[in-house]
Amino acid sequence: MTSDPVIKAVVWDIDNTLLNGVYLESPEQPPAADPVLASVLTELAGRGILQALASRNPPEAADYVRSVTGARFAAAECGWESKAAAIGRIAAELDLPADAIAFVDDDMLERAEVAAALPDVLVLTPEDAAEAATWPQFSPAVVTAEARRRGELYAERRARQAAASAFGGGRDDFLRHVGTRIKISRARTADLPRLHELSVRTHQLNSAGEPVTEAELAGLVESAAYQVTTLRLADDFGDDGLVGAAIMTGNGAGEPVPFTAMVPLVMMSCRALGRGALDALLAWMCQAAAQAGATELAVPCLITDRNVPMRLALAAAGLRAEAGTVAPDGRAIFTRSLTGDLPALPEWASVEATPWQATP
Amino acid sequence: MAGDTMTSDPDDVATQLRQLLADVTGRPELVDVPASTPLFGGGVGLDSLAGTLLLRQIQRRYGVDVAAEDLNLDSLQTLGTLTAFIVDRLGTG
Repeated sequence: MTSDPVIKAVVWDIDNTLLNGVYLESPEQPPAADPVLASVLTELAGRGILQALASRNPPEAADYVRSVTGARFAAAECGWESKAAAIGRIAAELDLPADAIAFVDDDMLERAEVAAALPDVLVLTPEDAAEAATWPQFSPAVVTAEARRRGELYAERRARQAAASAFGGGRDDFLRHVGTRIKISRARTADLPRLHELSVRTHQLNSAGEPVTEAELAGLVESAAYQVTTLRLADDFGDDGLVGAAIMTGNGAGEPVPFTAMVPLVMMSCRALGRGALDALLAWMCQAAAQAGATELAVPCLITDRNVPMRLALAAAGLRAEAGTVAPDGRAIFTRSLTGDLPALPEWASVEATPWQATP
Repeated sequence: MAGDTMTSDPDDVATQLRQLLADVTGRPELVDVPASTPLFGGGVGLDSLAGTLLLRQIQRRYGVDVAAEDLNLDSLQTLGTLTAFIVDRLGTG
């Protein structure tokens, strides 16, 4: 963990910030984009940091800023409510905690109000923002291709959600309808930066709640005692790439049969929420562990407010913890038997993972 | 919104929960779901996303934090178990 939280989204004011003037004062010919801030915005977006707008303006102002900056905004809140409320909605929409958000506004009162209501938000003047690109909290150590594409992915997600709300059937019917494709395969060296990034970025669907370094991941991928398995997700709206992974191991030397398959980490990007990806991964884990001779699957899971979606997926896959067994470290161990009926993989999932060998 | 009145009558709670379930899943037909139909898996197909939205709505409406009180989320087995869990908490609150 670093002392400076990494900024994952920047929320920009429009008037006298991204624009060199006030949008509504000259509706016939609105002011031009501020060239310095527009280039900062482009630079940060290239590093995979999301960009958003919060402005006391009609929605057309956002369209205008889009056209003059060429930026893709992951969210835009235009209206007459407080900036703090707007940032709260943006945080909810992008599923980010307040400390992952920076806010840029030229107006001192707006900055003060946001700072008071949302003390974890990084509040910046336009002058601060002009040099922010050099700050460590705006410089993710490794910018993956997926991170760079994140703005586009959020746009695809909005289109998918619109289609889902217009669709009449159940979830699985919808997933089939939009051509959902899931590929489960063994992790490769090229996956390590993305796996590390997922371990840092995922919260809602993360069992361990602790980042795993690339070096640690490399060790696990090479170790015969562990299997690191990745999940890739795509549908007709777009290809989300590598969105999730699980690490499995035996319960100790020799792996006496019967044994328990331990899962130090299972994680999934929040953009896979509601798309059956975690359910498919858990189903595969049950089947692979059973084939390797395990009679039980065990997932230690941190119990927090934020990862309730992970607990829901564990419950749906039939895993249970003993009541009152949350350890002092905040974890409970969820287990299920691997004898009898196991959760089924959806027919749109393809498995390329080699069978899990629990013993070296 | 209709049906927002606070109630601890099991039938009223069950009716409200069916409506919430229909809302979070986007499936209006679930307003008629039987009390014994499993919420996870085949029956209703409640997943992480819809389940989280449902728990959030329950917390807003009844002030009951199911995830904090029910480690295994066994209360989400069926609409009947969920209704009983909430009515029980309303009764003691």
